[in-house]
Amino acid sequence: MPTTQPPGPVPSGESPLSGEPLPAHEPLLSVEDLHLSIAGRDRAGAERTVHALDGVSLRLAPGEALGLVGESGSGKTMTALSVLGLLPPGARVTSGRVLLEGTDLAAAPDQVLRRIRGEAVGVVFQDPLSSLNPTMTIGAQVAEPLLLHRGVSRAEARERAVETLRLVGLGQPGERMRNYPHQLSGGMRQRVAIAMALVCEPKLLIADEPTTALDVTTQHQILELIGELRERLGMALILVSHDLGVIARRVDRVAVMYAGKVAEQAPVARLFTSPRHRYTQALFDALPERAAGTSRPLATIPGLPPSLTRRPAGCRFAPRCAYATDVCRTEEPAPRPADDEGVHTYACFHPADPAARPAAPGEARPAEDAPASPGTDADVLLDLDDVRREYPLHSSPFTRRRDRRLVSAVAGVSLTVRRGETFGIVGESGCGKSTLGRLAVGMEKPTGGSVRFEGDDLATLDRAHLRAHRRRVQLMFQDSYAAMDPRMRVGAILREPLVVQGVGDRAAQEERVRGLLDEVGLERGAVHRYPHEFSGGQRQRLGLARALALAPSLVVADEPVSALDVSVQAQILNLMRDLQREKGLSYLFISHDLAVVRYLADRVGVMYLGSLVETGPAAEVFARPLHPYTRGLLETADSAVVDSAGETAVDGAPEAGPAEGAGPLAGETPSAADPPSGCRFRTRCPLATELCATTPPEPTAPAGEGHLVRCHFPLVPVAGSAG
Amino acid sequence: MTRFLLKRTGQALVVLFLVSLIVFVLLHQLPGGPARAILGPKATPEAIAHFNHLQGYDRSLPVQYGMYLKRLVTGDLGESYKLNQPVFALLTERLPKTLLLTGLSVVLAALLAIPLGILQAVRRGRLSDYVLTGAAFVAYATPVFFLGLVLILGFAQQWPLFPAEAPQAESVGGILAEPAGLVLPVVTMALGIIAMFSRYMRSAVLDNLGEDYVRTARSKGQSQVRVLARHVLRNALIPLAGLLGLYLPTLFSGTLVVESMFNYPGMGLLFWNAAQSNDFPVLLGVTLVVGVATVLGSLLTDLAYAVLDPRIRSVS
Repeated sequence: MPTTQPPGPVPSGESPLSGEPLPAHEPLLSVEDLHLSIAGRDRAGAERTVHALDGVSLRLAPGEALGLVGESGSGKTMTALSVLGLLPPGARVTSGRVLLEGTDLAAAPDQVLRRIRGEAVGVVFQDPLSSLNPTMTIGAQVAEPLLLHRGVSRAEARERAVETLRLVGLGQPGERMRNYPHQLSGGMRQRVAIAMALVCEPKLLIADEPTTALDVTTQHQILELIGELRERLGMALILVSHDLGVIARRVDRVAVMYAGKVAEQAPVARLFTSPRHRYTQALFDALPERAAGTSRPLATIPGLPPSLTRRPAGCRFAPRCAYATDVCRTEEPAPRPADDEGVHTYACFHPADPAARPAAPGEARPAEDAPASPGTDADVLLDLDDVRREYPLHSSPFTRRRDRRLVSAVAGVSLTVRRGETFGIVGESGCGKSTLGRLAVGMEKPTGGSVRFEGDDLATLDRAHLRAHRRRVQLMFQDSYAAMDPRMRVGAILREPLVVQGVGDRAAQEERVRGLLDEVGLERGAVHRYPHEFSGGQRQRLGLARALALAPSLVVADEPVSALDVSVQAQILNLMRDLQREKGLSYLFISHDLAVVRYLADRVGVMYLGSLVETGPAAEVFARPLHPYTRGLLETADSAVVDSAGETAVDGAPEAGPAEGAGPLAGETPSAADPPSGCRFRTRCPLATELCATTPPEPTAPAGEGHLVRCHFPLVPVAGSAG
Repeated sequence: MTRFLLKRTGQALVVLFLVSLIVFVLLHQLPGGPARAILGPKATPEAIAHFNHLQGYDRSLPVQYGMYLKRLVTGDLGESYKLNQPVFALLTERLPKTLLLTGLSVVLAALLAIPLGILQAVRRGRLSDYVLTGAAFVAYATPVFFLGLVLILGFAQQWPLFPAEAPQAESVGGILAEPAGLVLPVVTMALGIIAMFSRYMRSAVLDNLGEDYVRTARSKGQSQVRVLARHVLRNALIPLAGLLGLYLPTLFSGTLVVESMFNYPGMGLLFWNAAQSNDFPVLLGVTLVVGVATVLGSLLTDLAYAVLDPRIRSVS
C-alpha cells in the first residue's frame, strides 16, 4: 500500500525516461499537486476561468485499484483524464505533475502521450453508444490500438481482437466483429469498449463512470468483469464514479473529491466505516440506503458546491458544513493523517469522531416502525386493472396486416394507489415503467384493461372531462430542463397550467405561483428567470412546483432524482416527502434505483418486461422478496452500505429465503417485441421449468395478504432460516 | 440492403408518377391552351377547334392523361414548335452535356470543399478559418451571372487564358476534347457549391470532433490526422450526402445561367431559348427531366446514406 502524503515541493529536474526499471516501491502513477483550469465563457459571454483542479495529489501502486468519488463538478473526471491528456477544449494543466512510471505526462508532448494512450493506459468511458464510432465495425475498432502500437499485421490484429472480445464475455466474437455498435445492447457495447481499452494489455485502466448509463444487472456484470480482468491482467485501475455503491466493492482505496480537491483518502473499508472529513460523512448520511425503512427524513447537505471561477478561501466545504468555524472559512485545511500508517488522510479542521458513528446504519428498521400504511382500500385513488399497452413496430400504411409486429410494453398490470401513499415502481430500462406512468396519467390510452381514477374509467371520459381530469394527476420528469420551454420565464411556466385550466384571474394565479415557489424552497424572484439559470436540483424543484400548481391528488414522478447528485437528491426526496405529508398527496414513483424507492415508497411494484412480477409493502418486498427477479435485483444492486464489521455488504441482503434461485442476475432482458412465452422472466430464471414456459403465472399471496407475486415457484421463506 | 433498395425505388416510382401528373396539368394551364400557343393569337376559333380535335384535346381529362402517359412511355414528348425536332431527341442530345458540366462542377467542388471544410474545422477560430469563412460568404453571396462575367472579364479578356465560349462540339467526347473551354463554365458553377459545401463540411467536422467516439479514438493513441481520416471523415460526409441530393434542382437552375452565358450547348441553354420563344413542349420536356433528376437525386442520396451509415441500413 503506497503512502499518501501531503505534496511536498516537487524536485526539479528531468524525470527518468519511461521504460527504465523502477524501484519496487515506486508507484505506477503519481499525481503531484495538480492544478488545472478550464477557460471558457459564462452565459453573458464574458471570459472566465474555472479552476477545476486545485492541488490534487494521488498515488497508485502497480496493480492497485483506486476509486475516485465525488459529485458532478468535483474534478474526478478531470483528474482521471489528465493522466492521458484527454482534456476537453480550453482545459490546461497550470502546474503540478502526472508521473507515469517516472515520465511526466502533464508536460509531455503529444507524441509521447500518443504512445502511452491505448498501450500503457486504457480508458473506458461512460456512454458506450456515443463512445464507439457508429460507422465502423466493432472488429475494426477493437483492432485499432494493436495496429497503432504493436505493428502487427491485420490478420494478427483481427485474431487478437477476437480473443479480447471473447475475454470480455461477448458471445460469438468472430461474428460480432462485423457488427456495428448500434446492433449491440448497452451492456455488450460496454464490453466492446472494455475490449478496446484492454487489447494492448495496459498497466492501468481508467474507467470513467463505466456503468452509469447501464441497468442495475448489466452494471453488476460489467463491474464484475472489470474486477476479474484486473486480477487476470494484473493491471491497476482508476474507477471514477459518483456512485458510492459502485466504488464500495471494487477498489482497494478511495479518494473523495470535492470542488477540485481531494477531501479524504483511505482504504475502502476504512472510509466507508469511519469517514473523517465532514463532507464524506455528510455524503454517506445523504444516501437513501441509510434511512431506508425508517420514517426519518434524509440528512441533506444544504446549498450547492462552490463555483470554481474564483479560488474560495478556506475549506471549500465550509459554506455547507454544519461544523464549520471561523478557521474553516479563512484557512485552507492541509491533508493530515488519520492514523500512524498514513494510509488514511483527510483535509478537515473538525473531523468526525470515528467512535461516534451510529452503528450499522444500513440495517433496515422493521416495517412496524414505519407509520401505519396510509389510506385503506376504500380510499383507492388510482386503479389499474389488467392494463395492456402495445405499440406497432415499423408500421407504415403499406405494411401488410400479417407483417405487423407488436411491442408489448405493458402486459396486464393491475395495481392500486391509495390516497396519501407512495407507490414505487422499480424496474430496469425497457421494462415498461415509464409507459405505465403515462398510462396512469391518461396521456396514453391502454390497448386493453382499464385505468380508473377516483372511480372514473378514463376511457369513458369525454374531452371536457378528460381535460378536467388532468388537474387531478400531474407528471414530474427526470429531466425537468428538457421538460420546460427554454424561452419561457419561470413565472410563465408555473402559471401555464393555471391558465390552461382557467383557475382564477391573473392576480390569483401570480399569487399561487409565489406560493408554489415558497413551498418548493425557491426564492420568489425566480419568476423572472429562465430555466437555464437554475441548477439541476433547483430545476427539479421547479418541476415539482409545476406539477403541484393545480393541486393534484396524484403526482406521477418518472425518475425524478436520477439525474441528481446524492446530496441534492436527498433534498428533493425530503421535499417530496414533506409536501406529501402537508397535502396528503399520492405519488406513483417510478425509478430504477432500489435504494430511492425503498426510502420513499410505502408499497412497491417490481416490473420486468411489461409485467408486474411482485407487489407489496416496501419493507416486506425488500426484506423478503418472493420473486426470483426481485431477489436477483436486490443481490445485484451495488450498495454503499457497509456493515458494522467493516465488510461491504450486499445491498439490503434479504434476511431470509432459500439459497436456491439466488445470486446476481445473469444475461440480458429479452426484447419486448418478442417476449418469452409463459412467464416472461423464465429465460433468466434459475428456477424455471416446463410449466413456466407454457403457463403465465397468476398472482398469488403465499406470504400473506397484500404481498402478491406472479411466480409458479415463489421464494417463500423457510421457517427457521430467518436471520 | 436489397430490401432497402427496392423500397426506395418503389417510393421513387410513386413520386415520378406524381411528377408526370403535375407536368400534364401544367400543359393544360398554358395561356389560351396549347392551340393558342401554337397557332398564335390570330388563329380562328375553327382552326383552334380543329387543332384540339386532332390532338385529342377535346376529350375528357383522364383520357387525355392516359394518352399522355402512353406517349410518355414510348418516349414521345411532342415536337418542338420552333426547332421542328422531337423533344425527346433534343433532350437525349443535350442532357449528357449538362450532366458533364454539372458532374465536373460537383466533383471539383467536392474535391476542394471537403478538405477546406476539414481545414477550417481543425483551425477553428484561427486566421485561416476566418479568411476562408469570409471567402465562402463572398462566393456564396455572389450571383452566378455576375461571377461568370467577372471570370470572363478576368480570364478571357484581361488575361486571355481560357476561351469565353464553351466548346460547341456535337458530342460529349468532342466537348471533352477542348478542356480549356470547359474551365470557366465549370469554375463558375463550382464556386458557389464549394462555398456552401465547405461551410457544411466545417460544421459537420466540428460536430463530430466534439463527439465521444473521437475522444475514444484519441484514447487509443491515434494522431489527429488519423482520427480525422479514419473516424471523422466518414461520419461528417453523411450530412453532406444529403445536401447534395437536395441541391440537384438548384444545380439545374445554375446551369440555366451558366450555359446561356458561355453558350454551352446543354439543356439549360435549350430551356433558355425555348422560354424565349414560347416553345412549350420543350419547356415541359425539360421540366419533366428535372423532375426525374430531382427524384433520382433523392434516391441517390438515400443510397449514399445507406452506404455511409450502417444504422440506416439496418433500420430499413
